[in-house]
Amino acid sequence: MLDSINWALIAPLLIVQFILAIVALVDLARIHATNGPKWVWVIVILLLNTIGPIIYFIFGRKTT
Amino acid sequence: MIHVEQLTKTFGAQTVVNDVNFTLEPHTATALIGPNGAGKTTTLSMLTGLLSPTSGKIIMPGVTDIRKEIGFLPQYPQFYPWLTALEFTEMAAVLSGLPKKQAKKEAQRVLEFVGLAEAMHKKTATFSGGMKQRLGMAQAIVHKPKLLLLDEPVSALDPVGRREIMELLKQLQEQTTILYSTHILNDAEEMTDQVLFLRGGQLVEQGNLREVHAKYAEPRYLIEFVEQAHAQKFASAWPTAEWKNHIVRLPITEGQPTMTQLLRTLANSPYTVVKVEQEAASLEEIFMKVVER
Amino acid sequence: MNQFTILLRKEFLEAWRSFKFLWMPLLFIILGITDPLMNYYLNDILSSVGNMPEGTVIQLPDLQPADILMASTGQFQLIGLAVFAVSVAGMMSRERQNGTVTLLYVRPLSYTALFLSKFIMALFLGCLSAVAGYGASMYYTALLYGSVNAIDFMKMLGTYCLWLLFVTAVCLMFSAMLKTGAAIAISVILFPVGLLLDTMIGQFWHVSPHKLGNYGVMLLTEASPYYGKTLALTCLLALIAIIIGIVFAKRKSITTAI
Repeated sequence: MLDSINWALIAPLLIVQFILAIVALVDLARIHATNGPKWVWVIVILLLNTIGPIIYFIFGRKTT
Repeated sequence: MIHVEQLTKTFGAQTVVNDVNFTLEPHTATALIGPNGAGKTTTLSMLTGLLSPTSGKIIMPGVTDIRKEIGFLPQYPQFYPWLTALEFTEMAAVLSGLPKKQAKKEAQRVLEFVGLAEAMHKKTATFSGGMKQRLGMAQAIVHKPKLLLLDEPVSALDPVGRREIMELLKQLQEQTTILYSTHILNDAEEMTDQVLFLRGGQLVEQGNLREVHAKYAEPRYLIEFVEQAHAQKFASAWPTAEWKNHIVRLPITEGQPTMTQLLRTLANSPYTVVKVEQEAASLEEIFMKVVER
Repeated sequence: MNQFTILLRKEFLEAWRSFKFLWMPLLFIILGITDPLMNYYLNDILSSVGNMPEGTVIQLPDLQPADILMASTGQFQLIGLAVFAVSVAGMMSRERQNGTVTLLYVRPLSYTALFLSKFIMALFLGCLSAVAGYGASMYYTALLYGSVNAIDFMKMLGTYCLWLLFVTAVCLMFSAMLKTGAAIAISVILFPVGLLLDTMIGQFWHVSPHKLGNYGVMLLTEASPYYGKTLALTCLLALIAIIIGIVFAKRKSITTAI
């Protein structure tokens, strides 16, 4: 059944999710400090699709 | 000229600042000295307008909005990490009322003055403690305030950083009036016209640095011996003498003994002396005395 | 005016440099794509995961473009709005708590300029996200289900932005009043949770700001008779929240960390 899926439709979703994860990782690499260890955030961003990067952006970044 | 009259601040049942009165003359530096919890930061906060006094007044003749005329450097200044030093200082200048064009120019000028010429385009997140203190200084003076308030400006710095900030402050003293709190009294001694000793929210001593020195100076001789035993023996002959290791301290009361008398006594003794000098209480000792009284 | 411009610049620099303008719209795009795609492939998904007997045909309702946009709105209102509300609710309180705003408060600062600079930035971010999200949803819907009237779509989008204006004003007001934790808690209860409650028991009333999003989508098919009233009430409440927010921005300035 999966062959019938039109990848041209799915691909943009995957690409956007990929960009989101990349943006989060770039931000993580550049930021001076995070709430909690950085490596944990790498795992969160990579393993949790969409939610991971968002959680990082909301709770991971230190603001001072 | 700034008059502070009967300034009092209470938080609930606790009186943190109690009936404080003083005057700051133009182009003078005043040190606010006191142990932790004496009310230094609260006093400064009231002068900035961040806290309103429970009672009492802060008067700056001819000034309607006091916030326009003050610059403030908190003990631990916090900056927006994603702004550059220049962007932040420029914003500070505009918020203090400078027109936009002038704000940028002034921001550049003060950042060069505090030694951040190289770093002014870097984000403050990358700044060290010393650089943040300099930036804090820059934002406090960018609008040329009539009164510069600094809360423990050098306490968190290493000796080199401390020296540099003190040098900056000395230069600023010519342009503005400075009130700063500190507990590093060596620095205070160097750049102070007036001292205010604060203890438990009250001013326990205040005045011209020289007057305070004269009042509490307690002149004495310092005699250093080669042999510890000699020092001990010498000290035992003088009831008022204090002996510690190789050193004896002999208070001078009403000019007695004179230096000549002391030297003669030493010359006639079998002890070998390294040095004899007259010393007076440092601000630190005066502070301990006043505060623990 | 000078104060407002410089504070607005600061807010935009912050949002830009912390990638907010990138990740929040991306989230809404993902949310917007999900529903058209999911519904389109629902049959395939069900038959590949479900233990259906051979030859079962599931009769799915015949979905119209407006139904899909309604489903996407549901996604924005739950996940997207929660994320947005949490990020707005910290904007003022966090700066007081970490002391960054102290150096602004010691100046002759206009609290109106301070509040409005944050409000405008947050509103811009919200609208940008909504446009991106609805744009993505509409694109997929048009591809898979058919199109809707362009003017009606714009009206719907505009309505959703007005709802976000209300959300921004209220969240920022709580941020001006309370500590970050409390402001976030109230914002989440008031918006994502409030919307759930409104769907569950909201049939007893017709006019509440929480209904505005759905009324907006209904413009595509059959406009609600309560649309105008709801819109007016929402704008009025937003204005009140802004005024209260400015008052509290000033009143709470003494709580800033020194």
